[in-house]
Amino acid sequence: MAVQGIWSGTISFSLVAIPVQVVKAVSPGRISFRTLHNKDWSPLARRMFCPKQEQIVLPGEIIRGYEIAPDKYLPITDEELESVSPERSRTIEIVEFIDMDEVDPIYFDHPYYLVPAKGGEKAYRLLAEVMARTNRAGLARFVLAEREYLVAVKSTEGALTLFTLHYSEEVLPADGMAPKAGRIDAKGQGRMAKSIGKMMADFDPGKYADKRREKVTELLKRKMKEQAPVEAPTMEEKESEGPPDLVAALEEVMRDMKRSR
Amino acid sequence: MSRNIVEIGGRSISLSNQEKALYPSPGFTKAQVLEYYGRIAAFILPHLEDRALTLKRYPNGVDKPFFYEKRCPTHHPAWVQTAEVVGDNSRPITACLVNTLEALLWVANLASLELHVPLARAGSPKTPDAMVFDLDPGEPATILECARVALILRELLSRLGLAGYPKTSGQKGLHVFVPLNRQDATFDDTKQFSKAVAVIMQKNYPDLVIARMAKELRTGKVFINWSQNDASKTMICVYSLRAREMPFVSCPLEWGELEHLSKLGDPDKFQVIHAEAIRRAEAMGDLFREVLVKEQRLPHI
Amino acid sequence: MAGGTIWKGSIHFGDTNVSVKLHSAVKEERIQFHLLHRRDQVRLHQQMICAYENVPVPPEAQAKGFEVEEGKFVIVDPEELEQTTPEGSRMIEVHEFVKAEQINPLYLDHVYYLEPDSDLFSEGYGEFVETLREMAVAGICTWTMRKRFYLGALQASGRTLRLYTLRYSDEVIAVKYLELQDILVTEKELKIGCDLINQLTAPFQPEKFENEHQKRLQKLIEKKARGEKVVLLRPKIVQPTAPDQLLQALEASLKKAA
Repeated sequence: MAVQGIWSGTISFSLVAIPVQVVKAVSPGRISFRTLHNKDWSPLARRMFCPKQEQIVLPGEIIRGYEIAPDKYLPITDEELESVSPERSRTIEIVEFIDMDEVDPIYFDHPYYLVPAKGGEKAYRLLAEVMARTNRAGLARFVLAEREYLVAVKSTEGALTLFTLHYSEEVLPADGMAPKAGRIDAKGQGRMAKSIGKMMADFDPGKYADKRREKVTELLKRKMKEQAPVEAPTMEEKESEGPPDLVAALEEVMRDMKRSR
Repeated sequence: MSRNIVEIGGRSISLSNQEKALYPSPGFTKAQVLEYYGRIAAFILPHLEDRALTLKRYPNGVDKPFFYEKRCPTHHPAWVQTAEVVGDNSRPITACLVNTLEALLWVANLASLELHVPLARAGSPKTPDAMVFDLDPGEPATILECARVALILRELLSRLGLAGYPKTSGQKGLHVFVPLNRQDATFDDTKQFSKAVAVIMQKNYPDLVIARMAKELRTGKVFINWSQNDASKTMICVYSLRAREMPFVSCPLEWGELEHLSKLGDPDKFQVIHAEAIRRAEAMGDLFREVLVKEQRLPHI
Repeated sequence: MAGGTIWKGSIHFGDTNVSVKLHSAVKEERIQFHLLHRRDQVRLHQQMICAYENVPVPPEAQAKGFEVEEGKFVIVDPEELEQTTPEGSRMIEVHEFVKAEQINPLYLDHVYYLEPDSDLFSEGYGEFVETLREMAVAGICTWTMRKRFYLGALQASGRTLRLYTLRYSDEVIAVKYLELQDILVTEKELKIGCDLINQLTAPFQPEKFENEHQKRLQKLIEKKARGEKVVLLRPKIVQPTAPDQLLQALEASLKKAA
C-alpha cells in the first residue's frame, strides 16, 4: 500500500502557492485474479492488436483518437490534449471557498490526498489548519490526463483531501422519486424516531467486513490446502559461457582445484 | 497514535508507535528496532552512505502487508539527503540517502525494517564498488549447501587473485561480496564475470550448483544469482534487519567461522539475531570493512 | 429524470419494512477516446497474450488464478467463484444509525436515489425520510446486489431517500500513512489566513461551473477535423511560495481580496 504519487504541481489560493503531490486516498479491497493460459499457467497480459496489420502493437505505436464518423478516427496527441487547458495542467487554483455545511455530499466523486512537496510543508499545514478552523473547503479546477475536474479541497484530520466533484449537469434531478407529500402520521413518526434512537451509534465502518471477500478468501485457503499451487514456466536463459579469456582461466583454475582435492 | 519528539544531532525526529510489536512472535517492538539501528549505526552507516535506499516498510509488523519504496517519501525532513536517480521506467526519481544517524532513525521509524541498497553509489550509479555472488538455496537445500558453495567459490576467487567476503542474507542464503572500489569496472563487467563463474561452477558441481533462474530446476541446489550485478538491482545492506518471524540480521562472518559452522551441520546456527549482531560488531569491529576499501581488479575482462 | 430502475430491494430494521427501487443519481458525459495504431489510424482491439509464447489466447483457453507467491497460482474454477457470491436476498438490512455529519466523505463511493416500490409494501417511505431528516441521521446498512456485498448509508435529501455505498475501512488509506509533519504556524499567520478565506468565501453554487475543458476539447477536435493547424501552448507553471515568504504572501493576498 505505497502512497503512490499520481500528479505533482502546485495548489494555490490568491498569492500563496504550495508545491504538492496528489496521491491515492483509497485502494480497492477486491481480491484480484490473474488470467492465465490453461495450457502452461503462464500469466496473460493485455496487448493492443491491430486488426488490419494483424499484429500486436507496442505502446510507442499507440495513439489516442476520436471517432468523427463510423469507423473513422481522428488522432490526438498528448501535447494537443494538454494544450487545451494549459493554465490548469500544473496548478490547482482555488478560486473560492465554500462553507462545508452547504455542500451536498452527492457532488463528491473520487477522493485523493495532497501531500506537501519539499518546501511546502508550512504553507500546507497553514491551509489545512485554517480550513479546519473556518469549516471551509476550496473550490478549484484541475486538469489530470485528458480530463478537467471541478474539485473541492478540504481538511481531514490535519491532511488536505482533494475530491473531484460531479458537474451540476451530471447530477440527475430527483423529481418523481419521492411520493406525493401526504399526511405524515405523527404517532407513527414518533415510534420510528424512538426505534431509530435505540439504534444510535458512532460511525465506524471498521465494524463491517466485505462478506464476499471473506468467502473468496476461505475458498482460496481451502484450495491451497487441497493442492499445491501451479507454477508458471520461467523464461529460459541462453547459457553462453562468457568472454573466452575468462572462461579459459576459470577452466584452468577448476582443473587445479580438483587435482588438489 | 503515540508520538514523542527526540533530539538527535541537533535535529528533531518525531517517533511514533514505539510500543507496537513489529515482530509479534518475540514481541520485538518498534522502539527496539530503533534501538538496534541506533547501536549498529556506526557499523552500518558506511555501507549505506551515498547509496539510493529502497525502503521495505512493514507498518503493521512482519506478518502483515509490506511495501517497497524506491522514492524518498515526499514529506521527508530537510536534513534527510536525497539524490536523483534513474527509476524503474527510466524516469528520474528522488531517492533517500541514509548518510547520518538521524536519517537512519527516521527511516527505521517509518518501519522500514529492511534496508536495500544498490551495488553502486548514487554519485556514480553505473560503476559498482563490488561484485556480488548471491547464493540462494532451492529447497530442500539450506544455508549449509550455500556454505559449501561459498567455500569453493572462495578458493576459486583466491586462485584468481581476488578476495571475497561472506555474509548471511538473514534469510536462507549467503552473499559473497568481492570488493572492487576502482571505478573502472562496469555492471556489464561484473555481470559477465559472475555469470562465467556461476556457469563453470554449475558445470563442475552439477548436483550442487545451478546458474539459471528457472525455478523448477532449483530443487536441492544452490542458485548463484549472478544477475544481481545490475544497476537496477539492490541487495540487503549488511547489518540490516530481516522481516522474518525473528529479527535476524544480514551479518558478516569470517571465513573460518563459515568453515566451522559448515562442519557443525546445523543451518540454524548460521543465523545471527539483533543483539548478537551488535555484540559481534562491538567485539570484532566491522568484518565487512574491506568491502568498502579494498581495491581489486577483475582479471581476464 | 433519473435513470431507470437498476435494482429492487427492501429496507428493514425493527418493525420497519420499506420496498424500494434503486435509480442512478449521477450520469457522467465524457468525450470518449479510443486507442489507434499510429501508422494507419486503425482502431485497436484488446487481446490477452501469453507472455511465454507470445501468442493470443482465446477465452476457452484462459483460467483464473490467485498469485500466492511470485509465479505460483491457485487456480479457481468459475463455478467455485460463483458459489462464493452471497445469497441473493433483496433485503437492505439497517444495523445502526449515526449522525449524518459523522460520515467521512472519504468513505462515500456511489449514490442511488430510492423510489418507493408501489408494487410492494412501501407506505413507510415518507415517514422514514422525514424522520431521518429531522433527526439528521443516516442508516448504516448492508445488502447483496449483483453478486457483491455492499455497505451503505441511507440518508434523506429533501423528501427523497438516497442510498450511498460506502468503502470498507481497509479500502481507505488512513491519514497517518501520509506521515505528515507537525510544523509550527504562528497565530498571526493563522489569523490572516482565516480572514483571507472569509474574504474569498462564496455560496456553494455548483451550477456556476461548466465543464469548459470538454468544450475546448470539442473545439480542438473540430479544428483538427477541418484540417486546421492547432497551436500548442506550454502549460503554465507557478512558483511555489517559500516558507519565509508565507506571511508576506498572505498579507498581500488579504489586501488584494479586500
